[in-house]
Amino acid sequence: MAEVEEDPNAFAFQEDDHRGAYIFTASHPAENQAASAPQPSKRRRVSGKKRKSNMPDATPVGEELSDSDNGSGLFVSLFSGSESKEAIELRRRTFEKGWGDLLEGRIQRVLREANQNTLDEVGSFMWDAEAKLTADGEGASISKKIPAGFIITGPNIASQDLLFEQLAETLSDAKRAARVVRLRSAGAPNLKAALKKIINDATASLSERSEDDDIAEVSVGEDGRKHLNYDLEGLYAFLKARESRRVIIAFEDSEAFDSGLLTDLIVLFHSWQGRIQFSLLFGIATSVDLFQARLLKSTAQVLYGAQFDVVQADSVLESVFRSAVAGSQALLRLGPSLLQNLLERQKDQVAGIHVFISSLKYAYMCHFYANPLSVLLADDGLLDRKLLQPEHIEAIRSLGSFREHVEASVEARQLNHAQSLLDDDEYLISQILQQRQKRLDYLTELLRSLHLLTTTGLRPGSFTDLYVSALVNGVDLLSEDFSNVFDSARKLGPGEIISLITSLLNAIQAGSPDLDLQGWESDADELVTALSGIQDKVETLVTRAKQSGQPLKSKYSAQGKILRTTVVAQKVQLSHDSATLTDEDKAFTKAIDDLTELLSTNIYCPPANSLFLHEAWLYNSKSPYRDVFVPRPGTTFERALSRPHDYLNCSCCAKVDGTLAATMPTASILYHMYLETGSLVNVSDLWSAYYALVGDESDMGLDERSALFRFYRALAELRLMGFVKQSKKKADHVAKLKWL
Amino acid sequence: MNNSLFQLPNELVLTTLAQIFPCRDSQIRALATLLYPTAAPCQNLVLYGTEATGKTAITTALLEALENERAEDGPTIKSAIVNSIECITARHLFESIVSKVVHALRWESPPSRCETISQLMVELSKMLKYTPRPDNFHFVLVLDGIDRQRDMPATLLPALARLSETILCLTTVFIVTSPPANFLRTPFVAQIQFPNYTKPEFVAILATKTPPKLPTTTEEETVDLWTRFAGAVHDALARSAARTLPAFRHACTALWPRFTAPILAGTHGPREFSKLLVAARVHFQDERLLDPGIVAANTMIPHNSKLTNGNAEMVKNGGSLVKQPGTRDHQAVGTASDLAVLLPTTARLLLLAAYLASHNTTRHDLTLFSTHHHGRKRRRGGLSLGVGRGGRRSKHRKIARKLLGAHAFVLERMLAIFAAVRREWDAKGAAGGDAMDSDVGMAIATLASLRLLVRVGAGVAGADPMDRGGKWRVNIGWEMVRGLGRSIGVEVEEWLIE
Repeated sequence: MAEVEEDPNAFAFQEDDHRGAYIFTASHPAENQAASAPQPSKRRRVSGKKRKSNMPDATPVGEELSDSDNGSGLFVSLFSGSESKEAIELRRRTFEKGWGDLLEGRIQRVLREANQNTLDEVGSFMWDAEAKLTADGEGASISKKIPAGFIITGPNIASQDLLFEQLAETLSDAKRAARVVRLRSAGAPNLKAALKKIINDATASLSERSEDDDIAEVSVGEDGRKHLNYDLEGLYAFLKARESRRVIIAFEDSEAFDSGLLTDLIVLFHSWQGRIQFSLLFGIATSVDLFQARLLKSTAQVLYGAQFDVVQADSVLESVFRSAVAGSQALLRLGPSLLQNLLERQKDQVAGIHVFISSLKYAYMCHFYANPLSVLLADDGLLDRKLLQPEHIEAIRSLGSFREHVEASVEARQLNHAQSLLDDDEYLISQILQQRQKRLDYLTELLRSLHLLTTTGLRPGSFTDLYVSALVNGVDLLSEDFSNVFDSARKLGPGEIISLITSLLNAIQAGSPDLDLQGWESDADELVTALSGIQDKVETLVTRAKQSGQPLKSKYSAQGKILRTTVVAQKVQLSHDSATLTDEDKAFTKAIDDLTELLSTNIYCPPANSLFLHEAWLYNSKSPYRDVFVPRPGTTFERALSRPHDYLNCSCCAKVDGTLAATMPTASILYHMYLETGSLVNVSDLWSAYYALVGDESDMGLDERSALFRFYRALAELRLMGFVKQSKKKADHVAKLKWL
Repeated sequence: MNNSLFQLPNELVLTTLAQIFPCRDSQIRALATLLYPTAAPCQNLVLYGTEATGKTAITTALLEALENERAEDGPTIKSAIVNSIECITARHLFESIVSKVVHALRWESPPSRCETISQLMVELSKMLKYTPRPDNFHFVLVLDGIDRQRDMPATLLPALARLSETILCLTTVFIVTSPPANFLRTPFVAQIQFPNYTKPEFVAILATKTPPKLPTTTEEETVDLWTRFAGAVHDALARSAARTLPAFRHACTALWPRFTAPILAGTHGPREFSKLLVAARVHFQDERLLDPGIVAANTMIPHNSKLTNGNAEMVKNGGSLVKQPGTRDHQAVGTASDLAVLLPTTARLLLLAAYLASHNTTRHDLTLFSTHHHGRKRRRGGLSLGVGRGGRRSKHRKIARKLLGAHAFVLERMLAIFAAVRREWDAKGAAGGDAMDSDVGMAIATLASLRLLVRVGAGVAGADPMDRGGKWRVNIGWEMVRGLGRSIGVEVEEWLIE
């Protein structure tokens, strides 16, 4: 068995890593015809990964990665290689501008800003703690406590790397002269290793700044004795020479540390506390109580702690979303279903914000790498007629949105327009070039509508959900989805209406810095005057109502109806009575109606996929993302084993549909049998079942030796893939490993 | 004058020390006698006693005083104190000893390394034995907390005890918590016990430092009240829980403002001790004094309210001061909800599945998770013993499985349970598909790094964490699991079979 596994050919797969599947063909004479047939290239899954679903001719030639000389790097020529170099280069540059220049820095800035509060709190605690502890000064025992900050980071510790980096920057600034050491559980498996790392880092961070001759003192103390590299005495001597005492040690993933190690370290730090001023920071994923339960009580009492919360992942996600996905700077729009998928993954799975960001980047990469129409996103000056090849035109004509557009214009009796679109390339190109401005207009419209809508606060739910639904359905306050907006608007009192209008006016004036939206007061003269008109009207109504002593109400407000009970002949009669509305009330009702109408005309936006050429700037395919970020090796193995024909495309198994056939690869036959067994598999039974299928008496007619050889090899393969293992219970049995 | 064979150190030194360390007079004198060269210097000396009884402090202070005592042609004492908590390995201990001795003797040429006990012997002999010293020179080497030395070979203590056999002018002092019989393997070792303080001693020590005078009372009244108060605190807390001097002192200083609040408010006079005691009874029963927790700076408000609930309950139960499980439960509910907020859905489901895998036996899996029979027979969980037997216990008393520790399970089984329950428990999130994709793997890895799931069995360090035959154990308790289950609308109890 082992000899078969160690066939040298088996290692050839490394050259073929980029393929979706690799089919092993041993150069053995007894190969069956299925495997010795010319190997079909695994086109289906590879191309499915890179092709936009609605663009049949955008298939890249994935296997022929050509390192072309023009600097386009790994961007391949699309349209089966006929795409011009200029177009490739433009795609590359557009990608680099769209992701690298515009977004990457912004996202980093948003992330850094999100941590700012925590940083300030931790910093001030660290500096106050020492003073406070000495001020408490009841006895030496209290002042010798170690200040400890517990930072509740949430379960995704990987994404807190940035936080600790920032902490290290803030706390080790030159003024305070504290050394910050970051410890991770993987880098500090035991006490010695942890101490070595602490001493190394604490001494190194300073020697970077000072002259080289200081470094010698690290290991040699004042009396010329060499310190062991885990001896804190060395650190003490080093710090004393620099008249600094503070060392801050950050345990980034404190849950993953062995609790014995933590206890040892804390006790050790405590015994040094008078000489070296240690402070500790713990990144805690679960809760402080759980953490405390892991420490000895005597150890826990040594700590003087404070708890800090990091900004919740939700709000970080929202601000990243606002600036990088929804913001006007984002070049590429992510489609609703992909976005929904990304957002759900953030909520359901242990996936930090960094996963979101890299998924975003991957979407950009996929789009610009595999979609030739992404050149249309290039800046105005760069895209000209010459660049658009006949293939581009053809691709555009085969788009879904092109067809819809033509059909719509036929229905609208613009037959000339439709005709020219179909026949006249020049006309189409001019139309395409116009689309750029239309896209920008659409986005502005979308963002303004969303901004106004969130400003009113009438629609519950987060901005992310609102954005996703706006992409699918558009924004239309008169539609079913938004019906509750007006319902709640009508229930508002006069004061609330006034403040609502004020905030709307402010929103128009200021725009939204999160979304990169400028104020658009100049564009919206009509809206602004109309809004202020309504505001003035309501204000005068309010003053008049005050004079008359009647509260101002509209016919929509709940007090409009009064329930009356009358007792007539010992029976109770209930009657609804419409409260009489005064003239002011009627005028107020009118004002509310005006306002809702105004909002419904101004907060409006069609769905994104109704636009002509939206395929060029809306990326909405989920499968590349899922294949890369959520691979499913188990399922893939099982599917390949149960239906090998889908992958091999051999003629012999074409009729078999997921059932057992003698022509299938041996491992696949054994897998099918394996599915029917119990938890212990008798190998001898398995062999006889297999031999009955392929042996002398069957269609295959294999002789016993070659059948046995294949059987052994297949069983070894199953073991390698983790389906069976040697059983200790019975000698001639293997144990089944898979339950699912 | 100094011709006499037996001469104690200057009386002044001893009385000064006795004032600094009250109630330790006999220990100070014994120690001085056994260390002083002209008195009865011994080769090895063991000081033992529980935490915070003054062993280290008295030794340090006494040695310092003796070194500074410059009597004319009196004996000279040098000393070195090594705290073995700071020593990571035995080699580290040896190097520290050498370095401290070098420092104490102002030795010119320090040895570069000292790795074994033999080298230590050589180095110490070089410095102490083969260097001419005055007749009554004596060196004291104090090994503080030597019983807690890490990586200590079994021969270390006997070897250290025999240092002074070779080097005659050396006294080795071992400070330990409780010495086993003959742990130094030497025929005779002098031992001095530092017993914990008794109640009068505690009170006397506290009385040396009274708090500032209360504005409404006289100095004398304050002192009197403080003394009686200290006695009361000792009876309430120190006898059972706060047994050490620092803990007792901390309890006193923390309680004092609350205790004297009625005096400041003018409701009680300083002489009405019993009334004050009754008024402050709740504070005396507050166990936060004993277990302050690690978050001291900005305590969370909901947390506190929970604690006080727990305390109120405790008062009702008769106010026993032993920590009751009830309070821990209250906290656990709080943390469980925290955890439920922090963890994403998949991780929560995995934790619950792991809990079920740990607490149900394999033979019940088919009953619980099979969807084959629709009328699922699921017995409700909970203890079902002795029902209807007229109170007669069966011979085998069964303990509810959830009260027992978690059992180990195979990862594969847990994943099977996860796949079975996720469709039922998480109707909307199941869209993600598949119980085997990498998100699930990531969730398991995260839970493992948070130590909520623990890998058990042999070869934990080297084994592949995703080996599906690996054995795991869930590491959270029932309270948290119940909270987690409720956060996604599942009563975990219904899924547990006795």
